[in-house]
Amino acid sequence: MKLKHKLIYTIALGLFLSSCDNKLDVKPVTNIDASSAVQTSADVEAILIGAYDSMGDADVLGGNPQRDAELIGDNGDIEWQGTFVPPAQIFNKNMLRDNGQAATTWLDTYRTINVANIVLANLGVVTAAKKSKVEGEAKAIRAWMLFNLVRVYAKAYVDGDPKTNLGVPIVTTPTLEITTASFTSRNTVEQVYQQIITDLTSAESLLPSTNGFYIGKNTVAAILARVYLSQGNYELARQAANRVISSGAYDLAKSFDLAFNNRSNSSEDIFAVQQTEQDNDNGYNTFFASPDYGGRGDIKITDQHLGSYEPGDDRGLFFYESGDIFTAKWADQFANIPVIRLAEMYLIRAEANFRLGGSPVGATSLADINRVRARSNASLYTTLTLDAILKERRFELAFEGHLIHDIKRNKQTIVKTNGSDVRVYPYNSPKLIFPIPMRETDANTQLIQNEGY
Amino acid sequence: MKKLLLMSFLLVVGILFQSNAQERKITGKITSSADGSALPSVTVQVVGTTKGTQTDALGNYSIIVPSSKSVLSFRFVGFITQEIPVGSQTILNVTLKEDSKALEEVLVVGYGTQTKTNLTGNVAQISSKSIEGLPVISTEQAIQGRAAGVFIESGNGKVGQGVKIRIRGSSSVSAGNNPLYVVDGIPITSNDQSTTGGPTNPIADINFNDIESIDVLKDAAASAIYGSRASNGVVLITTKRGKAGKTNVNINYFSGSSEATGHRDFLNTAQYVELFTEARVNNGYSASGGYTRFDRYALGERARWQDPTSANYTSTNWEKQVLRTGKINQFDLSITGGNDKTKFYASGSYSKQDGIIVKNSFERISSRLNVDHKASDKVSLGINFSMARTFNTRLSNDNAFSTPMQIIALAPLSPVIDPRTGEYTDSYNGAVVTQYYNPLLSIKYTDNNTEVYRSIGNVYGQWNILPSLSFRSEYGYDMLFQNEEQYYGKETSRNNTTAVNGEAYKTNTLMFNYSTNNFFTFNKNLNDLHDIQAVAGMSYQQSKRSYLDATARSFPSDSYKMLISGATKADANSTENFYSFLSYFGRVNYKLNNKYLFGFTGRVDASSRFGTNNRYGFFPSASAGWLLSEEEFIKNIPQISYLKVRASYGLTGNAEINNYAALGLYSASFGYVGTPGQRPVQLANPDLKWEKTAQTDIGLEVGFLNNRISAEVDYYTKKTTDLLLNVNVPGTSGYSTLLKNVGELENKGWEFVLRTDNSFGDLKWKASINAATNANKILNLQGQVITGGFLNRAVEGQPLGVFVGPEYAGVDPANGDALYYKNTKNTDGSIDRGTTNDVNQAEYVVIGNPNPKWIGGFTNEFSYKGIDFSFTFQGVYGNSVYNGAGKFMSANGDFYDNQTIDQMSRWQKPGDITNVPQARYLGGNGTAESSRYLQDASYTRLKTITLGYTFPSSVVNKLKLSKLRVYATANNLLTFTKYTGWDPEVNTDYLGGVAAGNDFYSAPQPKTITVGLNLGF
Repeated sequence: MKLKHKLIYTIALGLFLSSCDNKLDVKPVTNIDASSAVQTSADVEAILIGAYDSMGDADVLGGNPQRDAELIGDNGDIEWQGTFVPPAQIFNKNMLRDNGQAATTWLDTYRTINVANIVLANLGVVTAAKKSKVEGEAKAIRAWMLFNLVRVYAKAYVDGDPKTNLGVPIVTTPTLEITTASFTSRNTVEQVYQQIITDLTSAESLLPSTNGFYIGKNTVAAILARVYLSQGNYELARQAANRVISSGAYDLAKSFDLAFNNRSNSSEDIFAVQQTEQDNDNGYNTFFASPDYGGRGDIKITDQHLGSYEPGDDRGLFFYESGDIFTAKWADQFANIPVIRLAEMYLIRAEANFRLGGSPVGATSLADINRVRARSNASLYTTLTLDAILKERRFELAFEGHLIHDIKRNKQTIVKTNGSDVRVYPYNSPKLIFPIPMRETDANTQLIQNEGY
Repeated sequence: MKKLLLMSFLLVVGILFQSNAQERKITGKITSSADGSALPSVTVQVVGTTKGTQTDALGNYSIIVPSSKSVLSFRFVGFITQEIPVGSQTILNVTLKEDSKALEEVLVVGYGTQTKTNLTGNVAQISSKSIEGLPVISTEQAIQGRAAGVFIESGNGKVGQGVKIRIRGSSSVSAGNNPLYVVDGIPITSNDQSTTGGPTNPIADINFNDIESIDVLKDAAASAIYGSRASNGVVLITTKRGKAGKTNVNINYFSGSSEATGHRDFLNTAQYVELFTEARVNNGYSASGGYTRFDRYALGERARWQDPTSANYTSTNWEKQVLRTGKINQFDLSITGGNDKTKFYASGSYSKQDGIIVKNSFERISSRLNVDHKASDKVSLGINFSMARTFNTRLSNDNAFSTPMQIIALAPLSPVIDPRTGEYTDSYNGAVVTQYYNPLLSIKYTDNNTEVYRSIGNVYGQWNILPSLSFRSEYGYDMLFQNEEQYYGKETSRNNTTAVNGEAYKTNTLMFNYSTNNFFTFNKNLNDLHDIQAVAGMSYQQSKRSYLDATARSFPSDSYKMLISGATKADANSTENFYSFLSYFGRVNYKLNNKYLFGFTGRVDASSRFGTNNRYGFFPSASAGWLLSEEEFIKNIPQISYLKVRASYGLTGNAEINNYAALGLYSASFGYVGTPGQRPVQLANPDLKWEKTAQTDIGLEVGFLNNRISAEVDYYTKKTTDLLLNVNVPGTSGYSTLLKNVGELENKGWEFVLRTDNSFGDLKWKASINAATNANKILNLQGQVITGGFLNRAVEGQPLGVFVGPEYAGVDPANGDALYYKNTKNTDGSIDRGTTNDVNQAEYVVIGNPNPKWIGGFTNEFSYKGIDFSFTFQGVYGNSVYNGAGKFMSANGDFYDNQTIDQMSRWQKPGDITNVPQARYLGGNGTAESSRYLQDASYTRLKTITLGYTFPSSVVNKLKLSKLRVYATANNLLTFTKYTGWDPEVNTDYLGGVAAGNDFYSAPQPKTITVGLNLGF
């Protein structure tokens, strides 16, 4: 009996003590531990790809921020008829501080910056041959993101004093943990532009002239052209645009329609967000296309806009009817999303040359403008005015996310008329600036909210 | 001598004869005092001997007794044992009385049972009897309103969806708040496994008619034995077991129908045209522009909306198109039987519910076999096994245009069917007609089916080593296989833009969960003075979840729906994750002198989910009780039959977080056009540890008049520290949240239970009331504000999920502007109660609480001869519901969504006093999220009401049956509330986190009436 008991106790104790402890170390298999994710050059290069993916998000370069630039800058060319509240607030120029798009654009853009910062902090393990390319791309991504943020969440560069106006926080180190340093304050608009220009200048020197559909030297020069243009620095803007044009890497597509809805980059795409059936996030299509073209049909084009084109201009015919009138630029949800096209470089060079006068860089304004017009079978100009150049930008670049930024840098006023109801928004109206997202001011009390929110 | 011999012979024979005459056969019939029905399987035993028998199906017995001095005992579970001397009788009919001593009920606690008298913790038990045959799908729904302090909410009326359950409030902000479910000792998967649309409910896979009892462990003394997973309470489900004796077959069938509990009225065509024309003009838009729009909705025919005399004049009630009469049918069969050595319970069940919303249904086929076997006096073993298949025809979540209830946004101007196409009105020749996608197209052209195969089972062995010591080993598993299949026809492409040529999506989830419990139980009574019960053991649980999904597009026609037929294989994913728990536990209950009760429990838990620095946690509890009714000074009060005070204190934990929450993680699902990419998705926190809840409970239990009336009162405080909190971090870091142990919250409340059990001759009346308060308050979040839902927040000093937003101040009588209270702080610290028409100038303030102040239920059961009648009221009080769709459906004509009828009372001219602002198309006049869309949502419901009739044994016996009962039951028959939405019991199915109490096109609850038949033989 006693022996039997002992046996039982032994078995039972064995069960007790049989160490399952090692079973508690369960390794993740779907996602992997951060410590094993950044070890080799291939790892860092994969993170750079992760940054492109992050940047291609609909809320970053994939169409939604561009949509918002068109909505908030609109003076009657379009009508928002969708049901989503955040874009409706943006269209009505009456955003609330808890606007969801304001939060998403902010979060996703800063996420992209952090991924770029991880790449930059781990250049040490990148193969020497690839190092400058990886560094250049990451810096360009970081700068581009910062540029998109400062234009949306802060006063325009030309609005008041950029040295005292608050921009957005500059973040140049990756987040490994949340520390007091993570609770950033807003840098000034000037500081943000300096950071952007420093990064882009460095990237341009580091990158090869061509880099597939990734960011190369020319892409960086094109972004720089935009940056300088928004600063009103026409000299550097035309030089940057000229570097892109004179590189000879791009040609205007044979006809206007061929510049859009391409499943691989067209000859004039300086940068396009790549889309495939498997990897697809096309915000433009969602909102600008009608349901039978895969969209929600939320943004219809009004007669005011359609009537602004001269007869015969192909661009004035690049619309389709499906209940309402929609732009044909975003009719294929699986097509690449052109973000910078060569036509824009001609327009920047033309505008800068015109404004500066004297001997033009690259080509005359007239030649550049007519080159763009000729492609769309629009009549050719014999003389030019600044107004004509700015209008040309609208004809060529409508619904590509330039509207509000052009209005601000040109200090134009938006007059929106609904019957007897006329509303006027000067270029520096606080209504045309996004709020710092409420989730952000709640999480980080260092951030000062914009006027009017 | 011969004479003598003869005399002797005669004497001996005489003696023998006499003794033969004394050994007599007794026969009789045993009936129940309650309804006179025959009682089968009653144990009849000669006292002091092992001689015994059992009654047959008709309650008859016969037994040989040794002498007229013999005493027979009649024993039957649930009845008071009677002992009757046989005397000279040969026929002994006995009526057994039901044992109404509720206080002697046996409660299931972790790794054992305890009598209610000896319990020092708080356990609420719901017995199978009270929930049998209820026309609901899942166990939680069946017990709603039946246990004090247990809050249960079905978020909407879609069948098969998740049910929210909170035991003594919410103890966590970011981690789970659902209790741990344990079936026959084995923790089971209870959280949502849906990967498409709204949540599904794994508890719905269990046929609750197989359940013997549900025991809810509420305070720390009861729940701490489950340590790290007990902060939210523990629900112990015990399934039915076999009984020795005659084989009993029980059949139950019921059938019924259901309707929505509520409706909402929307504008008809004339009202719609009036309001929107006015709204456009008010905001500077042309009336004619509106007419153009109306024409579009009315298929281009102006007469359709303008001319009521026209044959084509249309005024569609869209709600009617999606709400329907639901159907319910259920068939249950159970067989029990066995002998002293082996007993079994076997069951099969089929249930089908067609919901009140079109296309929504839930079907369950289940079976169970429970076997217990005594191998010897010392060793017993057994097996429990269940298998179920459920098939749920699901709907999109509330946030999708394709969800049926969103149909009410459509203008009444459109006919249901477009005569030009014969199809549901939506688009014509590529141009959209209705403002929004017509969800009826999804009903017609979308499949959204979820099929679950679920098996829960365990085997056990028990060794009674000594009379006082036993060892039990259990091994159990829970396997859940879920197959979700969706097909979107090309007709639905307005809603699903990737389905232009059809799209199919399929997911498979396999959740395998196994665990083992090994423990000793020790019971010893010393001199009737010391009574000790102890348990000590270990358990281990491991769980693995594998997931696979695939998408294909471009189908030749809607007849082909399998992935193989899609010309483009668009996507495929698989994931896998694991967790494990290792635990050691113990419990000691000590009773001194039958008066003083002490309890101690402890559990050490380790989980793979936590940081390497803090993997183990210790969760102890201590409790004490005093049976005052055993003291002389109470015994002298005849009215008081039972009195106990008890108190407990203990620590429990919460581990309901993601499986790898402590690790910094990278994901490689970020490739770019075919090139693989990775990036971080989560920051590491190696210090992550258990969320701990310290709970104190003080309780009083009292019984009066031989326990005809009994009551229980408890007061508890639960303080949770080291909250597992998804802390909002600055987005500039590249992350939005980080899971940290930050902050504290508390729940405090009272629970009251009052029961009475009476008989007046043949009339029996039982009633029980339970009521509970819970006040939740977040004490510390280190200043964090966590937002969710539309206006929900977790913020210090307020209850979890509190509604914080601009406070609506009504309408400016002068100009019809919506006004908001500024609520800004003046320089002197006072609050500026001035108003503004710019909502951005209005401070965010607390405007309501989604958590009820009071919850409760009131159950009455009557029986008179064969008639039984019972009803349960259930209610919540003091909570608010926010209508997140208010800005669309009650927006004074802000956009073309059809409006609730109350919007007709909008401001129209200076001096108008109303709460509805001036109608302004695209004017945003009062449409901001604010207290305008918040309402009190207290309600009281007649949850169930049942009327039944059990035929008398005279009839039943003729039919060769042992039982025959017919009954009718209604569920949610009446609802009393001031809430103006569809139903006050609502929580939209697409919001998570701190969101609570939100209505968003959520389907109303079903009101169900069934009739049923219960047969036994």
